[in-house]
Amino acid sequence: MKAAILTDITKCIGCLECVAACKEKNNLERDFPRSWHKNDGLSAHNWTSIIEKPEQHYIRKQCRHCIDAACVSVCPVAALQKTEEGPVIYDPDKCMGCRYCMVACPYGIPRYDWDKPAAYVQKCDMCIDLIRQGKQPACIEACPTNATIFGDRDQLLAEAHMRIDNEPDKYINKVYGEFEVGGTSVLYVSDIDLEFLSYPLKPGVTPLPDTTKTAMKAVPPVFVGMGALMGGIYWICKRREKLQGEKEGDKE
Amino acid sequence: MDRARVFKSILWTISGLGAAALATRFLIGLGSIANMNDAVPWGIWKGFNIFPGIALAGGGFVMTAIIYIMGREEYHKYAKVSVLLAFLGYITAATALVTELGLPWFVWHPIIYWQHHSPLFEVSWCVMLYLTVLFLEFVPVPLEETSRFTKVRKFLTKYKIVLVFLGIMISTLHQSSLGSMWLITPEKLHPLWYTQLLPILFLLSAIAIGPIMLILAILVISRIYRRKTDNQTLARLGVLSSFMVLTYGLVRLIDIGANGKFAMIFDGSWQSAIFIVEMSLMVIIPLILMGIRKLRNSSSSLWVASLSAVIGLGLDRANIAGVMLSVDGPRYTPTIFEVLVSLSIISAAILVFLFCIERFKIWDSKWEDPREDKKSRPDFDRSSEVWLGTPRLAGRTVYTLIFVISLAVGFAIIPGKRIYSGGIQKVASQKSLGGDTLFIDGNRDNYGVNFDHKAHVIRDSSCVLCHHMNQPNDKQSGCYTCHLDMYQRTDAFKHDWHANPTGANISCTECHAVDQERLASTAKACDQCHKDLIPPGATITVDKYMAPSYTDAMHFLCVDCHKQKAVELADKSNLALCATCHTSEHTDHFVDGVTDKYKHPYFNHVVLPENRPTVEGH
Repeated sequence: MKAAILTDITKCIGCLECVAACKEKNNLERDFPRSWHKNDGLSAHNWTSIIEKPEQHYIRKQCRHCIDAACVSVCPVAALQKTEEGPVIYDPDKCMGCRYCMVACPYGIPRYDWDKPAAYVQKCDMCIDLIRQGKQPACIEACPTNATIFGDRDQLLAEAHMRIDNEPDKYINKVYGEFEVGGTSVLYVSDIDLEFLSYPLKPGVTPLPDTTKTAMKAVPPVFVGMGALMGGIYWICKRREKLQGEKEGDKE
Repeated sequence: MDRARVFKSILWTISGLGAAALATRFLIGLGSIANMNDAVPWGIWKGFNIFPGIALAGGGFVMTAIIYIMGREEYHKYAKVSVLLAFLGYITAATALVTELGLPWFVWHPIIYWQHHSPLFEVSWCVMLYLTVLFLEFVPVPLEETSRFTKVRKFLTKYKIVLVFLGIMISTLHQSSLGSMWLITPEKLHPLWYTQLLPILFLLSAIAIGPIMLILAILVISRIYRRKTDNQTLARLGVLSSFMVLTYGLVRLIDIGANGKFAMIFDGSWQSAIFIVEMSLMVIIPLILMGIRKLRNSSSSLWVASLSAVIGLGLDRANIAGVMLSVDGPRYTPTIFEVLVSLSIISAAILVFLFCIERFKIWDSKWEDPREDKKSRPDFDRSSEVWLGTPRLAGRTVYTLIFVISLAVGFAIIPGKRIYSGGIQKVASQKSLGGDTLFIDGNRDNYGVNFDHKAHVIRDSSCVLCHHMNQPNDKQSGCYTCHLDMYQRTDAFKHDWHANPTGANISCTECHAVDQERLASTAKACDQCHKDLIPPGATITVDKYMAPSYTDAMHFLCVDCHKQKAVELADKSNLALCATCHTSEHTDHFVDGVTDKYKHPYFNHVVLPENRPTVEGH
């Protein structure tokens, strides 16, 4: 099973029970508004948030747990990893705090403990411990309207398409997260456009890690090639010097 | 005052100011001095120190290639200084990196935790290796000063060519990988800068501008120490570099043209203006000044060309690593302290550079300021331990004094409150009728109830029961604003503001009992110190340090109702109508069904007083 979450924007009432449940489950600190917060409600102590849009639209923002995640591919110490179960998880013992994941994330999810001398990256882990026990993530458990549901990604995709097919007038004909950046484990069906979640990136269908793949594959050949090239030049120059020396020797 | 001393004094001042900011960063955290935020996780230290630093230190591997591999003997006199420059450039970048890392003591983690898909993994490996190579390349120079370790020195000198090869191979990799790092940000990075060729462009520009940085460094120190420069050799090096500059410029322009972005250069946006400035500084000006035979041999054109190229390269890296990344969130402007840290790292590196020039045989002779009066140094008479006095203040004394004073000034000007909360965001009071009756829109859908405010005031005789303490005079907000405010994480008590030296600075034991564990639950209640917190005659007390929050002003959490009613009612929109829940005149049944509202210890931590008024009386 590939764990996934489907959030139906039309069902969300914006009660923030998921936010509260997340805080409780992950033992997150109480939060103060800080100058370094983005205006989306997420922070180092808030792993999920509700963004309010006009006409009673509440959009739950959380880590998208991309199938081929940019943060996982850029982390130099493998502190971020895509688990077999589906969630992308963070290992604070490996992290060195470079924040490359924050630069790379197309959805701007990872947040940082800016006010701590020993600062870690913070993000949703889809309650991986609960999933491994066969339970649901805390936010799903807490949702009073079943606006956000948990399950296998393929089944949720089918469910999402079924909802859209049943009420084509209500929904935008698109499952957000089905194809963007190679697909995400957190899916949305919605009656309003959700592109703003990934601003400024207009997510294409290729996973972001592909962008660096070619360059990274070129590393060993470049290393050897450069050595060979320099060796060649060195040999030529030495030989020219030697020949020149002989020539001058002849003249004498 | 002589030139060298004035220059060094300035450097020491900057270092002192920066050191104070640096110490604060390590003691309190990045947020204490930096403006970096969740939207802009990398700031000026990346864009100004690390990326340009490494690129400009590229002169090291280029010069060793020219001298040792291509056998161009005329540049041999610059071999040591170029290696030193590269070494210090990398040390600068590494220091800036350690400053910037959240967990700097784990900077070695890439050695044991491998992740070969990451460009940064490769960069960190290469930088660590190359630092070692540079160290081994440079260490014979200071070793010349001592008679010990001659074997080590001879061994290193003998196998120098191996180090040169390694240096070039490693540098090629990480100079380009620094470009690969930005491949992951398509569309975030401005299209004039983003291209698949970034790694190649980074490598080319480092090869081109690295030697030009060396020219600039030589010009600067020659001026400080009043030495003559060999302008002809420098100009010839400049010509060599300008071929690379030309290559770089062509590759970049052709790439832009091939991707159909040529029109963007002249579209008049500020990004395009910066692009033109950058290309002029980095490519056009150096090409003109170094390409034309008449111009290039004059010292002033060398100055302008090298300065322009170096600034251009710095601008390019800063643009890619920050300026040209679009931001969704608070914009980033570096604080004065970030700038100071940046400059102080560079100042310290220049001081080390000058130290090496004065102490070691970088050139045939050691460079000392011609006006420096050696005899003016203070001294003890060793035999009698008598202070011989200071005819003129010696350098060391002056510099120490300058450093300590600027360090103190630095600490003095760092605002302590930066790290603490910016306060609660005020939410405008809308949709409230005010006065005796309030329109309460609890579900935020324009269906509301008229709330008899006056009756509640009379009955509760306290404002804080309903109104949170962070907006003590806010008596007319509708629930809409209040609930919104609550979701913005309000909290009445600020521990930092009470305990911190820059706050009220009261001791722990004023609130916490001496022999008890220091918990919020066992601390003194607010109204024990703040006597006027609760209006006289009020029926409630403030339980420990928390006040009732806005959520308690109406119907508990909306969720409880939703949970209860969602089962009975399929359509959620009906929940907004009063009659959906208020089926009878009395609301007692509603209160009975409400589940435990104190179950969230971290979110909206609220404990109501025991003797709170019941609904019955209404």
